[in-house]
Amino acid sequence: MTVQKDGAVQVLVGKVGDVLQYAIGDPLRYLANWGRLYSLWPVHLETACCSVEVGAAAGSRFDIERFGALEAFGSLRQCDLLIVMGTVTRKLAPRLKLIYDQMAEPKWVMAMGACAITGGLYFDSYNVLRGVDDIIPVDVYIPGCPPRAEAVIQGLVLLQEKIRRLPSLSGR
Amino acid sequence: MAAAITREFPKVKVDYARERRLKVTAAPEAVKDVALFVRDRLGFDHISAVSGVDWIASNEFEIIYFVGSVSKPGYEDFVIAVAERVARDDPVVPTLIGVWPGAEYHERETHEMFGINFKGHPNNSHLILPEDWNDMPPLRKDYVSPGR
Repeated sequence: MTVQKDGAVQVLVGKVGDVLQYAIGDPLRYLANWGRLYSLWPVHLETACCSVEVGAAAGSRFDIERFGALEAFGSLRQCDLLIVMGTVTRKLAPRLKLIYDQMAEPKWVMAMGACAITGGLYFDSYNVLRGVDDIIPVDVYIPGCPPRAEAVIQGLVLLQEKIRRLPSLSGR
Repeated sequence: MAAAITREFPKVKVDYARERRLKVTAAPEAVKDVALFVRDRLGFDHISAVSGVDWIASNEFEIIYFVGSVSKPGYEDFVIAVAERVARDDPVVPTLIGVWPGAEYHERETHEMFGINFKGHPNNSHLILPEDWNDMPPLRKDYVSPGR
């Protein structure tokens, strides 16, 4: 008898949970992702000339803060956007993975420039990684050598579109 | 200056690339004496670079020490290249840190890029290559990059 009763209570709780998820889950997810997408705190991994273009995008002429990506920030443990700007060598690759692992979830990665996407000019070098997506998951690719500041802004807007449509609260 | 070197060491080969450039090629056993002579008697006390050349057709490595002078007046732009050739199969040459202490870093780089062993070198661990590099030295001519 008690077993049956407990089973009924559990089913009831499960149903209430489903109802709650339908009722407030989606709005909650929308709110959380809305909050995330306009306050992206980037980690700048500046290894090549692409970082100059990000500097231009952050400057007063293009002003990427209008779109919701903040300036360079102190600690990568508080950041949620990793921008890989430029060539990643074999020696840097474990450090890049370490940086990615130290960031808190949810986190997104932008690969900027031909070098970060495919190795670019140095694709046949013994020492250059052929694309950072070999070691970390990349959300947005910004092609160019280097990409202009407008392209950086477009990549950011693309990433925000992706975050807006994320299906879950966890950010993945 | 070339005459002074050949008078002291009859066996070394002295070439001119152009004016104020001198190349002295010695055997690996004699290179230390030649280097000491170049440093002490000719006054070339500053090492600029150590480089390696992979002569794969003749199965040899060439190690070249580029030395200049900061103490001899009038010879500031003069470069002497002290070279030695060693067989590709067993590339062991004596280190010249005792002659020019600045060669330590350059010899270490030559070691990891060409696989040339400098006998007597205090630290041959990886400096520029990744720590976990286990392929052959990448600047050898028969190295094939994974991207190709």
